[in-house]
Amino acid sequence: MSGRAAVVHDLALEAYGFGGEHPFNPLRIRLTLELCEALGLLENYPFIVSEPATDENLTTVHSLTYVRQAQKAGRGGGDLLDLMQYGLGTGDNPIFPGMHDATARVVGAVLESCRRVMRGDASHAMCVSGGLHHALRSRASGFCVYNDAGVAIARLKEEYPSIRVAYLDTDAHHGDGVQWMFYDDPDVLTVSMHESGRYLFPGTGGVEERGRDGGVGYSVNVPLEPYTDDRSWISCFEAVVPEVLRAFEPDLILSQNGCDGHALDPLTHLSATTGLYEYIPRRVHDLAHELCEGRWVATGGGGYDIWRVVPRAWTALWATVSHQELPDKIPEAWLALRGAQSPAELPRLMRDDPADYHLAERAAEIASRNRRTTEQVLEKVLPLIR
Amino acid sequence: MLLVKDSMTREVVALPPQSTAGEALALCRERRIRHLPVLADDRLVGIVSARDLRSATPALGDPSRAEALGRILVHEVMAREVATAHPDDPIEEAANAMRERKIGCLPVIEDDALVGIVTSSDVMEALVYLMGAHEPGNRLEVVMPDRPGTLAGVAGIFGELGINIVSVVAGPRRSLPGSSQPGRIAVFRADTIDLREAVDILERAGYAVLWPPGP
Repeated sequence: MSGRAAVVHDLALEAYGFGGEHPFNPLRIRLTLELCEALGLLENYPFIVSEPATDENLTTVHSLTYVRQAQKAGRGGGDLLDLMQYGLGTGDNPIFPGMHDATARVVGAVLESCRRVMRGDASHAMCVSGGLHHALRSRASGFCVYNDAGVAIARLKEEYPSIRVAYLDTDAHHGDGVQWMFYDDPDVLTVSMHESGRYLFPGTGGVEERGRDGGVGYSVNVPLEPYTDDRSWISCFEAVVPEVLRAFEPDLILSQNGCDGHALDPLTHLSATTGLYEYIPRRVHDLAHELCEGRWVATGGGGYDIWRVVPRAWTALWATVSHQELPDKIPEAWLALRGAQSPAELPRLMRDDPADYHLAERAAEIASRNRRTTEQVLEKVLPLIR
Repeated sequence: MLLVKDSMTREVVALPPQSTAGEALALCRERRIRHLPVLADDRLVGIVSARDLRSATPALGDPSRAEALGRILVHEVMAREVATAHPDDPIEEAANAMRERKIGCLPVIEDDALVGIVTSSDVMEALVYLMGAHEPGNRLEVVMPDRPGTLAGVAGIFGELGINIVSVVAGPRRSLPGSSQPGRIAVFRADTIDLREAVDILERAGYAVLWPPGP
């Protein structure tokens, strides 16, 4: 354990959200950071404030016409039928005031996190507002307007021309936007582990999607069966991630830490617990030290049980990023502050008790299907990575 | 998109009837194809597949193979009765013709000239586009009562929720679960990450949602 950690955040990032009853609610960011603070995990870590991404930054991966449409939408302008061509103003991505500015800030914060780590100002950095992995070149998709990881990677490639970036996405949904942005690029390895697209948005992310042209082998997909539990999830992670990262030898690991694979998440069908969300960051941390002198940037991502799951999962993430022990108990002060607002009773402990989550009846069958998937992945991509 | 001309390959690799089996097999290998139309004076006179060529020649390792590859001519092996398609044929018709005859491709003929070839891989690609399988979306299978207006009912629910439909295929008959009432299955690809409300409304409106499946 060495080096300093940075948390990049400011209140303006919490403007990214779709309002009303929309499941993507920025309150989850507030709840997470409040919990970190109540546990004393932020004491030596003042928030680092960043600049919004410029149009020039955004257009490294987005089309200028799309950026202009999002700007127009955010100012209350634009024709709804036109905007919908860009995925704006749909049920998933409703227009909200200032949507361009809010998203450009999220992108800027992730870019700042990456730059700090690359300059050596921090060994690891976290920005929980980031992780908008579905945004496409000219289209908002799945609650994501701009693609923060896409912009950050593209920008780093300009600033450090020989850089090799490993993007590791453990959100329950396939990291499609980032994958397509670097689909033919052998200097960007995208690894996504997610619930199979047969059952879940965006429907892509099969084993056969493994890159195009010079980038064949540098897109890695591990589609998991619905109701996959921690145990099978972790064994798939161990079967694939260390090997492909070692073969690739990255200069930086950028992780998307969506926690919507938790059993309580309302949008997906995976069966993970907080155990998984404590395990993954630890392993990514160790791999970053093994392979790239610790250079690791962690973002948030999906997570729609914003009361019981997200604050605990991302507090565990921050504890690892900042080399601090994760306490056992949730502080009374936080429960007192937020307990009454939560629609469900809040847990008292930071870690789920596995006994509260009974295994799916088909757990063994699910695990064996997942194991076959990882074997296929290794067979199809590992020989191609160099 | 869904006509033969939208899916066919326009640059067709063909060869004359006097070519040898060896030349034809080499062509298949180089171009990574399995079927070769045979042209005499620019008119289609037959088709030969790599499989026909292989079964007409001695196996690899057989000492007589080299001689046979140079002696056997394409017109001795080719099929003369060739099923063909027209560029304006619907792709499903071409698919059905291939399925009925258990063949893997159809040369495409317009005004007696060979203008393309459509293969089972092209049909696969058309299927991917038809189902929207390359675009972001959530797969949903619904059994609708088999009467007018029920598809519009499902589509209307998506419309109300601001969810765009990437593709819809309404297909084979099947009775509604737990009843003898006739129904039809429709497979939707809906551009949304959150299907909960749509599924809930559909179920309350009497539609049976078969996919995504339960635990």
